[in-house]
Amino acid sequence: MYNNLGAQPGVPRPPTNPQPNPFGNSFYGAGSGLIRGGLGAYGEKILGSSSEYVQSNISRYFSDPQYYFQVNDQYVRNKLKVVLLPFLHRGHWTRITEPVGGRLSYKPPIYDINAPDLYIPFMAFGTYVVLAGLSLGLQRKFSPEALNWLFVKGLFGWFLQVSLLKVTLLSLGSGEAPLLDILAYAGYAFTGMCLAVLGRIIWRYSYYFLMPWACLCMGIFLVKTMKRVLFAEVRSYDSSKHHYLLLFIALAQFPLFTWLGNISVNWLF
Amino acid sequence: MLYKITKESGNVQYCNFAGQNTSTCSSPAVEHFNHLQKIQTNSPKHPSIHRPILTLYISLEGKKRKNLPWCPHKRIAIASTKMSKQFTVPPVVFPSGGGVNPNVGNINQRRVPTAPFQPSSSAIPFMAFDMGSVPSSSGSLGGTISTSAVSASASFEDEEPLLDELGIHPDQIWHKTRSILNPFRVNLAAHKDSDLSGPIFLYLSFCLFQLLGGKIQFGIILGWIVVSSIFLYVVFNMLAGRNNGNLDLHTCTSVVGYCMLPVVILSAVSLFMPQGIGVVRYATAGVFVVWATRSCANLMVALADGVEEHRGLIAYACFLIYALFSLLVIF
Repeated sequence: MYNNLGAQPGVPRPPTNPQPNPFGNSFYGAGSGLIRGGLGAYGEKILGSSSEYVQSNISRYFSDPQYYFQVNDQYVRNKLKVVLLPFLHRGHWTRITEPVGGRLSYKPPIYDINAPDLYIPFMAFGTYVVLAGLSLGLQRKFSPEALNWLFVKGLFGWFLQVSLLKVTLLSLGSGEAPLLDILAYAGYAFTGMCLAVLGRIIWRYSYYFLMPWACLCMGIFLVKTMKRVLFAEVRSYDSSKHHYLLLFIALAQFPLFTWLGNISVNWLF
Repeated sequence: MLYKITKESGNVQYCNFAGQNTSTCSSPAVEHFNHLQKIQTNSPKHPSIHRPILTLYISLEGKKRKNLPWCPHKRIAIASTKMSKQFTVPPVVFPSGGGVNPNVGNINQRRVPTAPFQPSSSAIPFMAFDMGSVPSSSGSLGGTISTSAVSASASFEDEEPLLDELGIHPDQIWHKTRSILNPFRVNLAAHKDSDLSGPIFLYLSFCLFQLLGGKIQFGIILGWIVVSSIFLYVVFNMLAGRNNGNLDLHTCTSVVGYCMLPVVILSAVSLFMPQGIGVVRYATAGVFVVWATRSCANLMVALADGVEEHRGLIAYACFLIYALFSLLVIF
């Protein structure tokens, strides 16, 4: 985990598991035993072991989700500006750390513009589904089943993006970034895509320059973010391999966006 | 026909062959029996050949009456008529009470307090043979049945009205629905206790309007309501924070369901709007969606604490949900 990074001076060591019982704490706020009880019960049943083992394993892959929803209006506005116009972001791209309980942990998104959050990706995904339905309707091809397929297609695209980032990180020797972080970074792609689809609805030809623009912006954003993540994680800094992989991430955005942005009834293209 | 049967204020008056009025009684099945007894006992001059016709006429007449779901007396009437061809009919014994025949007056006294047919008096006709009122229970045949009848009728009368037992309170539903009609004022008190029967009613009316528009989308709308309320539940509680989020799924679904009212009205209105792509359709849909969003966001912020500063974020999530439903209506 992060703790066995060794002493690299000046490098922040983000722990993935600040609390011993992240699920209990995060879903305590959910206000009912529904999630906690359900997950606890089914977790035991599915994995067939004690809840401690389940919780420790889940917490290894699934850090505290509550952290990603500590947002406010101002953060959302500024983060949208960063994602959609990343070259205008003047500040640095590193996440701010603070000592919490003897460890270094990242500050929550309210205090740190570079921290990932899950609110924007979820809302962007929902907006993408609604806008895709709208554009389907304008093409007179709307049906609720088609919208369900678009939902699944969007989820699959999100999954593809996550796997791209994860594979890149793994191939550089460090796959230990929290899964929810990667999920958040991948989900930011939907904001650019929403913009492109909205442009297509308003004026058909605007799609042809909004889409490459969105791809480019997402590419820059991901490159800068991944650079920081990689810099924080890997032990050796293999320069050329790094750069090639980052470039690959940026270039892979183009087919992904084209596939997701092409809103039609059939699934594949 | 031999007998003239007239109806006066729900009671049936029978005239016998000689033109005399027989006594009127209120329960139609019982009065048919009374009438049958009177056929056999009071008019010996009546030729037996006419009796089946008469009986059939009576039972047909009984079948035409709306307040008799089925005519138990038809079979019994014909059976007793058949019996009467061969031998005198023994008096019909109601198991709950003593012999009917000698105690005609008793039955009348038992039935008189209730108007002709009132279900609330626990006197559904065919059940009346088994479960009579408590006081007159005599006879060995009626003994055992009447004890069970006592407990059954006592619990039947003590039962709550059906809607209360199901938990459906129409006036409460009406209050809550009416409070949604004004998007600028939040009526928190009405929505404090959540219920799901109002949302189910609104869901059914939404599906009905869609059906009138030619779209059969019952399952789709139900699935979307479930998914969107789970989505809103998760987002709301995550945004509210670790210590604050106390919205439970039942309340969330109730709020989402009640705020569906503007979408229901939109689907009703869109039945009359011109078909095809038009700015009018989008504009009205937009207005209704904004109305639904506003009421939903206000209600959720008022119902669960700790999210005042996240009002815009919650409102955007609600906006997405109702925009999704309006897509179903527009296209």
